[in-house]
Amino acid sequence: MKQIVKTITKKDFSTFVNTLIKDGSYDVVGVQAKGKCYVFDTLSSAEELRLNYDVTILPPKKYFLPQYEMLLKFSLQKPYEAKETITDSPRIIIGVHPYDIIALEQTDRHYFDQQQDNFYKKRRENTLIIGVDIQNVSERSFAASMNTNTTETGFDLLLTDIGTSYAVTIGSEKGEKLLKKYATVKDASSTDLTKIKTARNAVLKKYKQKMKIEKKDWSSLLVANYEHAIWEEHADVCMECSSCTMVCPTCFCYDVKEDVSLNLKQGNRTRTWDGCMLKDFTKVGSGEVFRDEVKERYRHRFFRKGNYLPARYGFIACVGCGRCGSACLPDIADPCNLINELAHFSSENDPGKYFIKEENEVLEKGIIHLPRSATIKNITHFNELDSLFEIELDDKKPLGHKPGQFVEISVFGYGEAPFGISTPPGNTPIFEIMVRQVGNVTKKLCSLQPGDKIGIRGPLGNGFDTKSFEGKTLLFTSGGTGMVPMRSIINHVLNPKERNKFKDIIILYGAKRPKEITFMDDVDRWKKIHDVQCELTVDRCEPSECWGGCTGLITTLFPKIQADKLDSKNTISIVIGPPVMYKFVIKCLQTLGIPDDNIYVSLERRMKCGVAKCGHCQINGVYVCKEGPVFNYAQLKQLPEAF
Amino acid sequence: MKQKPRVAVFDFADCEGCELEIADLEEEVLDLLEIADVVSFREVMKEHSDDYDIAIVEGSIMRPMDEKRLRSIRNHAKILVALGACATMGGVNKIRNQWMPDEVIKEVYGDTNLKGNELFDVFQTKALNEVVPVDYYVHGCPIDRDEFKSVITAIALGKKPDIPRYPVCVECKKNENICQFELGSFCLGPITRAGCKAICPTHNSPCEGCRGLIKKAETDCVKEVLERYKLSYEDIRRRCTMYNYGRKECSYDE
Repeated sequence: MKQIVKTITKKDFSTFVNTLIKDGSYDVVGVQAKGKCYVFDTLSSAEELRLNYDVTILPPKKYFLPQYEMLLKFSLQKPYEAKETITDSPRIIIGVHPYDIIALEQTDRHYFDQQQDNFYKKRRENTLIIGVDIQNVSERSFAASMNTNTTETGFDLLLTDIGTSYAVTIGSEKGEKLLKKYATVKDASSTDLTKIKTARNAVLKKYKQKMKIEKKDWSSLLVANYEHAIWEEHADVCMECSSCTMVCPTCFCYDVKEDVSLNLKQGNRTRTWDGCMLKDFTKVGSGEVFRDEVKERYRHRFFRKGNYLPARYGFIACVGCGRCGSACLPDIADPCNLINELAHFSSENDPGKYFIKEENEVLEKGIIHLPRSATIKNITHFNELDSLFEIELDDKKPLGHKPGQFVEISVFGYGEAPFGISTPPGNTPIFEIMVRQVGNVTKKLCSLQPGDKIGIRGPLGNGFDTKSFEGKTLLFTSGGTGMVPMRSIINHVLNPKERNKFKDIIILYGAKRPKEITFMDDVDRWKKIHDVQCELTVDRCEPSECWGGCTGLITTLFPKIQADKLDSKNTISIVIGPPVMYKFVIKCLQTLGIPDDNIYVSLERRMKCGVAKCGHCQINGVYVCKEGPVFNYAQLKQLPEAF
Repeated sequence: MKQKPRVAVFDFADCEGCELEIADLEEEVLDLLEIADVVSFREVMKEHSDDYDIAIVEGSIMRPMDEKRLRSIRNHAKILVALGACATMGGVNKIRNQWMPDEVIKEVYGDTNLKGNELFDVFQTKALNEVVPVDYYVHGCPIDRDEFKSVITAIALGKKPDIPRYPVCVECKKNENICQFELGSFCLGPITRAGCKAICPTHNSPCEGCRGLIKKAETDCVKEVLERYKLSYEDIRRRCTMYNYGRKECSYDE
């Protein structure tokens, strides 16, 4: 596309900026000095602008995903009151370098993906970007190697210093209107256009950091070196401060916190930047940390940039700004250095490609943070830790879930946590979840009474596609709380309308102790059905406990499967249980001759946002809250971080 | 209506600055009074009662008489909150643990005969949790008022407070500060627990580690960074003495 280019004298440009400031319609932000460094901040005069800067400490990301951003305000006095808090006014950001513009386009891709983030969207729509071509290059920048030193898109206006004037490339209608209303410009001559090219080329020789390989080869180089010693070597000196992710223009993961006023009357839910280098990033309610070693976290950061996001969106999620390299005290964060170091090695080791679920259309516009009000109808206590909650959505609309999906439940003042749905699909606003008391949210839930209000987001994630299981024998293996989502699919296939679509049904269920067996009423019912084989075991049983059944790990139940029932090639096996269980159960299934393609599992990770935005639940490049929690084992086994 | 919990605030060896931070909540103190009755708080009120549920305790334990008093407070209180660095980890009061108590007394009071005077009967400085169990910690010198509020509301709601386990750098970067190391200074931010909103580096003063170290200064990659910035181990050791003398990295639950 041919772009319209104008010119504006530097004096007129200052007038333009000062007019904008005086006009007051916009918050006018620009690059300015902070000591020997530069930052984006609100301008009080055009004189403060430093358009020949090298790099700012933080990228302009802070205006779209602020360091701290309030999402919801809620009341702790009323039964249920919560509202979203989008407050953003029109803004112009002057002096954004091309690499930062490209980083914003990448962030758009993520935050506008499928379930759009309405907060981010509003800020993007409210903001005009006036970019500027790079004149000085920071010591660590390698934007030229990443082809992010210039850009044709992503700005409303783009300035290029061509001597006494700026060339102004018009990138949008909004930009054109702004110029028309506030500035005095001339059409650019062909000499001016040549000057733009000359100016851009002159900068190229200022880059000290250069990549030894092509940008497109990052992914294969990383994948080939997944097990390389370099990750551990560098991790040994990593301070785990996450400065690298904090200053990164393409890092967009966030955590969510809840604050309550001192009089306990109201509170708010705020999101804040989080970093995958921090240990607690993957920590779930029960205390498990899924990327426990520094090495794993350090590697994750590079794979996310060079392999996971490229597989998902088709771009390398690094724009070569060099900020992480400058911010890292032990100097191990610079992607250019790491890639160059790896480029010396080659490896036979190939952990395989990462699968990404195909893109669907945008699901729901702009309501991803606000929960729906719901009422607790009934609470049944299984034991001192586990309780079954019956919940009804207050809008009386059916939940509309598939077996295997989950909901995020809010208890205002305490936070939000994911729960597997344990009732089968149906045309009803009522559903059940099981709550095990492990953290703030679950403990508070268990102190609530029928009639109390909670917030629901969902159903979320990828559930079981039971249609594809039709005509097959179904083997269900669950351990511990794995029975929660398992009960949903079992009761679904046992529904008289569904039952004849499947062959035999075998249910294996193991719990640690007899008292930890949940859904005993269901189990008793299943046992009585003639074409259902249902076997139970407990890991151990104290003499004081009453238990007449089998003792031993879940794997001890496999020999009990009636061989005549099991046509292994025509059996679908579904496994849900604690992380430690999968390896052993899958071995048993393979011994039975069940192909990996026929095995489905459901995994637990820290699903904070539930809509593939916040980044916490990733297994390698896969979002458990979106591509999972239900996975096909044949696909999942390609992911080194899965089990 | 459920009775409001009764709160008492006490102090030991300290500057009372953290108590002042509570008083500085100003109108928000009124919000606090909606959910709790303050029955003892020497810095701001005359009244005193020994009937309380929650004890908020500032200061370090220096003498047998302090220890006795703290045990008595612990016995009265259902919940004990350590307020500020002196209470949570000994803080600046532990600087003197570099010497024996006798040496310290002699250095300060010369040959004055203080034998038998229990006010001067000092042992090596202790944090509260070296004497009695502590239920909640409000870190810092002084404390951060917002964190104090979040601990208090967590107690009131019966939840675990959300105290960061990551370093000050995270908050410092969010504030868009120029790194102290880049300014030619050096800073304990990378190994100190966040939660202070990086207030010191934000006001151009390096972090002194007042919220406790989350990494061991002796090992944990500090060496490489020191070399890169041409700093000696002695520099960092001295810096750690200010708040963290004799202390290893803090435990996960503190």
